[in-house]
Amino acid sequence: MAFGKFLLKRSLQGILVVWGVVTVLFGLRAITPGDPVNLIVDPAVDLETRERIRQELGLDEPIYVQYGDYLGDLLVGDLGYSYQSSRPVATMVIERVPATLELAIAATIVALVIAIPLGVISGTRRNEPADYGATSFSLVGISTPNFWLGIMLILLLAVEFNIFPTGRRPVAFHDALWTFLTTFYVGDLLTWLHHIALPAVTLGTYFTALITRLTRSGMLDEYGKPYVTATEAKGIPETLIRYKHVLRNTMIPIITVLGLQLGTLIGGAVVTETVFSWPGLGLRLITAINNLDWPLIQGIIVFVGISYVIINIGVDAIYATLNPRVLDE
Amino acid sequence: MTTDILRVDGLSTRFFTEQGQVNAVSDLDLRIERGEVFGIVGESGSGKSVTARSVIDLIESPGRITDGEIWFNDDGLAEAVADDHPEAVDGSFVNLLEVPERVRRSLRGTSFSMIFQDPESSFNPSLTVGEQIAEAVEVQRRASANPRSTRAKTREYSLGSLVLSTVLPSRKYVSEASRERAIELLELVGIPDPVERADEYPHEYSGGMLQRAMIAQALAGEPDVLVADEPTTALDVTIQAQVLDLLDDLQEETGMTILLITHNLGVVARMCDRVGVMYAGEIVERGTLEDVFDDHVHPYTEGLLGSIPDLEGPTARRAADDRAEKPRGGGRLEPIPGNVPSLLDREMGDRCYFADRCPKAMEDCLSHPPEYDGAGSEEHEVRCVLATREYTEARALPTDYFGKADRAAADKHADPDGTETDVQPERAESTVEGTGGERR
Amino acid sequence: MISDRVASNLKAEFRRNLLPKIGLVVLTAILLMALFAPVLATHNPNTTGYFDDGTSYPPMGTTAESYEVVDGERQSIEVEPSSEHLLGTNNVGQDVFSRLLYGARTSLLVGTLGTGIAVIMGVPFGLISGYFGGRIDDAMMRVADVMLAFPSLVLALALVGVFGSMTVSIPDPFVAAGLAEGMPSSTPLPGTVTLVVGLVTWVWFARVARGEAMAIRNEEYVTAARSLGASDATILFKHVLPNSLTPVIVLATIQVASVILLESSLSFLGFSGTTLSWGYEIQQGQEYLRQNWWISTIPGVGIVLAVISINLLGDWLRDSLDPNIEGEGGGAA
Repeated sequence: MAFGKFLLKRSLQGILVVWGVVTVLFGLRAITPGDPVNLIVDPAVDLETRERIRQELGLDEPIYVQYGDYLGDLLVGDLGYSYQSSRPVATMVIERVPATLELAIAATIVALVIAIPLGVISGTRRNEPADYGATSFSLVGISTPNFWLGIMLILLLAVEFNIFPTGRRPVAFHDALWTFLTTFYVGDLLTWLHHIALPAVTLGTYFTALITRLTRSGMLDEYGKPYVTATEAKGIPETLIRYKHVLRNTMIPIITVLGLQLGTLIGGAVVTETVFSWPGLGLRLITAINNLDWPLIQGIIVFVGISYVIINIGVDAIYATLNPRVLDE
Repeated sequence: MTTDILRVDGLSTRFFTEQGQVNAVSDLDLRIERGEVFGIVGESGSGKSVTARSVIDLIESPGRITDGEIWFNDDGLAEAVADDHPEAVDGSFVNLLEVPERVRRSLRGTSFSMIFQDPESSFNPSLTVGEQIAEAVEVQRRASANPRSTRAKTREYSLGSLVLSTVLPSRKYVSEASRERAIELLELVGIPDPVERADEYPHEYSGGMLQRAMIAQALAGEPDVLVADEPTTALDVTIQAQVLDLLDDLQEETGMTILLITHNLGVVARMCDRVGVMYAGEIVERGTLEDVFDDHVHPYTEGLLGSIPDLEGPTARRAADDRAEKPRGGGRLEPIPGNVPSLLDREMGDRCYFADRCPKAMEDCLSHPPEYDGAGSEEHEVRCVLATREYTEARALPTDYFGKADRAAADKHADPDGTETDVQPERAESTVEGTGGERR
Repeated sequence: MISDRVASNLKAEFRRNLLPKIGLVVLTAILLMALFAPVLATHNPNTTGYFDDGTSYPPMGTTAESYEVVDGERQSIEVEPSSEHLLGTNNVGQDVFSRLLYGARTSLLVGTLGTGIAVIMGVPFGLISGYFGGRIDDAMMRVADVMLAFPSLVLALALVGVFGSMTVSIPDPFVAAGLAEGMPSSTPLPGTVTLVVGLVTWVWFARVARGEAMAIRNEEYVTAARSLGASDATILFKHVLPNSLTPVIVLATIQVASVILLESSLSFLGFSGTTLSWGYEIQQGQEYLRQNWWISTIPGVGIVLAVISINLLGDWLRDSLDPNIEGEGGGAA
């Protein structure tokens, strides 16, 4: 009941945010200097052809009509056609999603698997060597630009020692998985893993460091709260206090922070994809911006905006289940 | 013939803070009989909370019990540790400070449990009240299912089990039976609709309800000794009476021993059999209720009693001093001039610690007094020279003997911008209480 | 604003911990390097062609492998460092050390100016939103949500793509005063990037300021001031703003570090408008990783040191001022 209402309210807000994103992008496109027709055809073509293209794109209409058309098209999932390649933008976005998604998920897994244990160790053994190690790591981790980290990893592990490839994605995860499930051939999966290892670590390091830091300080705060002493007085096992009570309560605010940091993850993905020639949305976005290919730029950013909104609604839902006070407010 | 359940000898608990060593409790002796309600009363910062926490081993860094013995009377425990730690056993008594931490931990919940001052911050906000009480029940269930000797080991619950329990309900720490018992306990302490209430979160309870729930949680382990640390301070006046009644009834029913920590003499008068008055980490006067209320010797006790305007009945008295000052815990006993002294080691001289605030300070008070027999019952003891000689003007210390600042501190409550000397003791005090837990 | 107690807290924390001291020393060194770049630089950072044989010099203390065409055949040769180039030269023969100094200028300028813009935009926005609450707050927070839904790097890329780099040349006082012969007479500040990092990070300041304003709004002294007839503007300026400064200062410190990272990412992707930037240098060196490892490596060390030192100072401020800042700030590595 309360939960359903909560989700509905969040979804409505989300739709509003997406509309805002679309509108801002439309505004940016409208004030972009230069004639988009020049991006589609040779500037030397005759005026008649130019006029025809202009009409086809609806560029001769008043701006509010263009805006209305654009919104209408979006509602039915029509993102238009790329200026550069004339292919449908929707296809160009969708085909690049798996690569970026793989990278983002792999990086998140790397971050969670390393950061939570590290944060717990750090938070429960304050001022011991393990804590100093973890805090130094996290300080360096949040202070290192990930493109440079990626290049250094390539320099060390690909160029010097030749353990990992320098980049590229020879096989998609879903294809590799399919091969494995149908033929029990594991080679493709291993190839995938081999190629994604460095990009995932590169993208994941900032988050590993961030989550370690937040977990550590969160646990220290949490241990100082009176309920922990009261729970200790009950005589329940230490493991239960540490994980069921303290870590759980520590993670509740961290989840929200991670939702907000999703933008950083996506920005990081753009850079990481560039460093490792990973054929994801980020790489495509860079190309699109360099060409001022507006339909494609809009398509990619709107897609990213929608994903951000949806994931944050999910995060809020998790937060609300873990922290019962939210629903009552 | 009553028997002792707890004997504390020479207990010293110190906090090693950045300002220096704080002697929160110094060389304290205490004897608590089975089935009695023993009260410790004193101002904030007198070390009463730290004493209680020392007894049940809840002192946290930077605090440490530096000296003393805590003898706990338990046949089963004595038998179980006799082989490994013969030096820690004396008859049916076990010195808790000489057995491994593992053993001490195993006593939590089942031998000792505790009620805290502020129920709202003493429950985990993100678990249901029922679940939290059920955890305490589970401790008791698991303990009684295993013989004492192996109890400590079976108390552990591995991380693996915790992870597994997210998919396998059978690996959960808290069993269904414990959940049902938790509901019974909620009913026992007078929570209406306990079945529904068990599934609610702490923030859905009122303060009084939550304190009842905490009492239920403390009873879950069927403890021998219940430590109640300011159990009613955070509650409204009307609720206070109900909670005290409840504690009273439960104590009568179960016959458990209660160590009651309070700064409220009204609560003491109503609940306790014997009482110890604490000041600056020491018990300065102790005895039966009559000894302390009627035959007291120590000017500090006098001062405490003097701060209660109406001595007719505990309820009226409580109401009175609640009306007197609400905002500051330390302000309750305002009529005694001055502050609780700094417990910083370097600032504690070798004198009666109360001398600087004492209206009857004499030259004799410049050396630290031992405990003298008091005029009341056999139990009556008092750490004041007035037990042996009358106060005479001739030997009195000049008013400004301890410096102007100390005496002037009486005006401190009206003067928020305290001078440098005022700030110092307060800081030390808050350090102690911060770790000792009387947060307000 | 900064009371004695706060100041003594700051001092005590500083004295007790080693980390803020390290941060202060490193940051001061970088600041001095950036400030006196024209005096300290050994070469004009833009002058190319110090190499005779198509090779780049490695940093002091190392050697590099390269190739030379002898009689129509490529032969491996070893390149010794040149005493003229402390940290070697890059792929077009520019002095790496001199470019490192000038890169510090760009990073710190963009970092502080960009954060300043974000503060100027975000703080009033957040204060008004939090102070008035209700519908105004709802509407303004939706605007902030829209901003948050754009990954800051992505939005920055789009903006730079649209507006170009708008480089502003800042005249160099040392050169003007004749103290640094042969150095560039002005430092290029990438205008769009500076504006853009402000535009994409202001929302974090708005959130913090809003939280503070909401907390202070209901304080008794504010209610009292209002009942005495003080206008909203007066209350905002005299009570709410000063009280929200502590968390803003802490956040700003951390944000300078994030902005430096964001600027370097933009330059790395080729969207900065100046070549005197650490990120740009790293991108240039990426192709030459196999032969000339130092071109990418050295500017990266510069970024990491700058960002770590600022973060250390930010931690120090946060620990001693203890404001309530939700999570970390923007962050855009």
